[in-house]
Amino acid sequence: MIRKRMLLLTLVALFALLLAACGGGETSEPAEQPAEQTTTEQTTEETKQEEPKQEETKQEEGTMEEGAKEEGAMGEEDPWANVDPSGQTITFWHQHSRSREEALNEIVQEFNDTNEWGITVVAEYQGSYGDIFQKMLGVLNTPDVPNIVVAYQNQAATYQLADGLIDMNPLVDSPKWGLTEDEKADFFEAFFNQDVFPTFGGARLGFPPNRSMEVMYYNIEWLKELGYDAPPTTPEEFKEMACKAAQQPFSKATAEGSRGYELSIDASRFASWTFAFGGDVYDYENNRYTYDSEAAIQAMEFLQSLFEEGCATIVTERYGDQTNFGAGTTLFTVGSSSGLPFYKSAVEEGANFEWSVAPLPHTTSDPVMNIYGASVSIPKSTPEKELAAWLFIKYYTSPEVQAKWAKASNYFPVRKSAAEALQDYFEQNPAYKTAFELLPYGKFEPPTPGYDFVRDMIEEKMAAIAEGAPVAETLAAANEEANQILQEQLEQLGE
Amino acid sequence: MAEQPLTEQDVLAQRKERIDWREAIEGYLFITPAVLIIAVFGLFPIAYAFYMSLHRWRVRKGPLVGLDNYEKAIGDWQGALIFVVGFILLYVAYRLWQSAFTEERTWMLLSKAGSALVVIAAWYAISFGWGRMLLEGDDRFLNALPITLYYSLGTVPVEIALGMILAYLLFQKIRGQEFFRMLYFLPYITPVVASAVVFRTIFSPRETSLANRFLQFIGLEPQKWLFESRPFLEVVFGLKLEGFWAGPSMALVSIILFGIWTYVGYNAVIFLAGLGAIPKDLYEVAEIDGAGQWQLFRHITLPLLSPVTFYLALVAFIGTFKAFNHIFVMRTPSALGTVDVASIVIFDTFYKANQYGYATAQAILLFLIILGLTMVQNRVLGERVFYG
Repeated sequence: MIRKRMLLLTLVALFALLLAACGGGETSEPAEQPAEQTTTEQTTEETKQEEPKQEETKQEEGTMEEGAKEEGAMGEEDPWANVDPSGQTITFWHQHSRSREEALNEIVQEFNDTNEWGITVVAEYQGSYGDIFQKMLGVLNTPDVPNIVVAYQNQAATYQLADGLIDMNPLVDSPKWGLTEDEKADFFEAFFNQDVFPTFGGARLGFPPNRSMEVMYYNIEWLKELGYDAPPTTPEEFKEMACKAAQQPFSKATAEGSRGYELSIDASRFASWTFAFGGDVYDYENNRYTYDSEAAIQAMEFLQSLFEEGCATIVTERYGDQTNFGAGTTLFTVGSSSGLPFYKSAVEEGANFEWSVAPLPHTTSDPVMNIYGASVSIPKSTPEKELAAWLFIKYYTSPEVQAKWAKASNYFPVRKSAAEALQDYFEQNPAYKTAFELLPYGKFEPPTPGYDFVRDMIEEKMAAIAEGAPVAETLAAANEEANQILQEQLEQLGE
Repeated sequence: MAEQPLTEQDVLAQRKERIDWREAIEGYLFITPAVLIIAVFGLFPIAYAFYMSLHRWRVRKGPLVGLDNYEKAIGDWQGALIFVVGFILLYVAYRLWQSAFTEERTWMLLSKAGSALVVIAAWYAISFGWGRMLLEGDDRFLNALPITLYYSLGTVPVEIALGMILAYLLFQKIRGQEFFRMLYFLPYITPVVASAVVFRTIFSPRETSLANRFLQFIGLEPQKWLFESRPFLEVVFGLKLEGFWAGPSMALVSIILFGIWTYVGYNAVIFLAGLGAIPKDLYEVAEIDGAGQWQLFRHITLPLLSPVTFYLALVAFIGTFKAFNHIFVMRTPSALGTVDVASIVIFDTFYKANQYGYATAQAILLFLIILGLTMVQNRVLGERVFYG
């Protein structure tokens, strides 16, 4: 009985396999493709059909939420002119802890004590950037949303996929509440423009209260031992010095090993080197990634040659490049300027030598510096609260407050005029001053939704290139994948 | 018409019925809290995940897309069907092979030959179906499945075998038994993120890392460990195999070592409890009959421990398919995705790409795979369990 059942089961399974295999042969594939296209078309059509409905909904919501603004806007240029922020209490979600949080609380307290509208800001530490992002996704478009939130550009873009943020352009340009042309010009250009999103029709989804920058850290004393009295300014010089350092250890090194350059695998490093080779990782006119651009290929081929010739190694432990730099076993590293105090202590606790920062070696006439940092965004709430939030942001980014915040946080101020109040700080921190002088050369990474996902993918490709993968092919595949991710993200705009 | 008076039997029957009802209601009331908790925190999330998976759901809910998210993951329904049929055939082959030993000689040969043929057909179906799925499906998700399988197969048998050996040794009359028992259990209760960070340092590619110092001590070349994307077999034995047979990467093997380290002690403690339940007189009788240590282990300990082994294998297998925390901590870009098990890919789809609908579709597929494998394991291994 069992035998019969088993044979029957075998026959059925084999028959099913045969049927499936016959149906799935080469001949069937052309027939499948149109079917698949049809499915895609249907989905697109469904989406298209839904668009007007959702726009209607948006309009309805907008009518309710922005009623006050519209009342004021009747026949006026400034939609915010008649909104009254008096007496509002607003919440500010941020990621600053310890001394930075203390400094921020002082700024908030000063604003609460001095602002003429009686606005009260409640600053709340809500964990890391990632924690805040996850919390925000849960409260977007609900009454629990904060009135100001710290967000990286890609995070703000994700919030905006759900139509969760206000466009701050009308506030910035408001004759009554906004910034004057002189004030706008006082911002470093790249900082000011970084939160304007081409993927959202030029909407301003954030405003910068501080920034950092990718710089090259170098060991001055070791360079002198190698026979150089200035840091490299071109990739060729960089390579020559790095390769020499790999062969000739630093006399004051406190640990074993000698490395020319330690590369931390990171998408921001990829962007920095591409910028230094005169390119970009994003085409802002056509809204697409350009990881396979000529400059990106040249930059990666350059890095690959450093690895092939034993002049560079990969950072294998978290902040391992800082530790090795401090121990005098690594000549060059590239990293965020926000690491300046950490490098300082690593050197003091390590080989204790003279060091500084410089722009990445570049093929362009001027250096091109990768600047980054989280901005503050205003989630949608009521016009009164939104305006109150903007007024705090305006205060937070005023030159005096910026100088105070820069000293406390070690970030760069976003206003040029803040430099006047930073002279004493420059004297105490010459490396910070050197980096500050590079701010006018800033350029930024793309503010696109799903950029975190793209970054992970690019980091894998970078690691593969360091291992010897063919650069052009690897970057072509990376670019295709990145644009596919972007396309999938932007599909949500139509929903 | 006058009503007939109730007989004593009727009254008794009615009373019994009332008691039965009351007991039933009481029973339902007792299980209600548990049912509610399971429904709210167990079944509802699964149902809601399934609901999400049928929509284009990113930061907010989009249109209903039916099974599109599933199709995006597996690529080709026909390919998936052939792939599943391949596994059904493998099961059939196993059954045929088993039945061969209960038959007369002629049928035995036929069954064995049939079993071999079915295995070939199954293998063909699995590779053909898989190839079709890879052509159209999501590479990251599909590639994560064999990586998850490597992780599971690399971890579970070794940790169970080592756990059993350790338990057997600890069960002997040795000094400091309690101390060793606690020592072996420590990895299991150590916070996994903390121990994973330590292992990341141990398996760093630096020549001075602990793992490399050990290799140098025994005269071997230092390795890149977690930063090595090449297959373990290629790195260690120079064997360059293709596809599935290439095996796990060196980076994944480093993570497998962590998995084994974490669970060996736990398994040993559970095995110790199992060993304590084996009647001592069985060993005494066997010793009187002249059985040696190996025979005692093979014919008494092993069979009587089989319920424990079965339980541990089942739980460990499910656990490895869901493994996430330590892999997330230990993965590096240099591993080039060779350690990205299914849970990691689902996490990335959810948190980094914010494609909630698609991520839940991937999660449901993983759930179905775990469910299917658990059922097969239950069926195949469950039959071999000896309950005394």
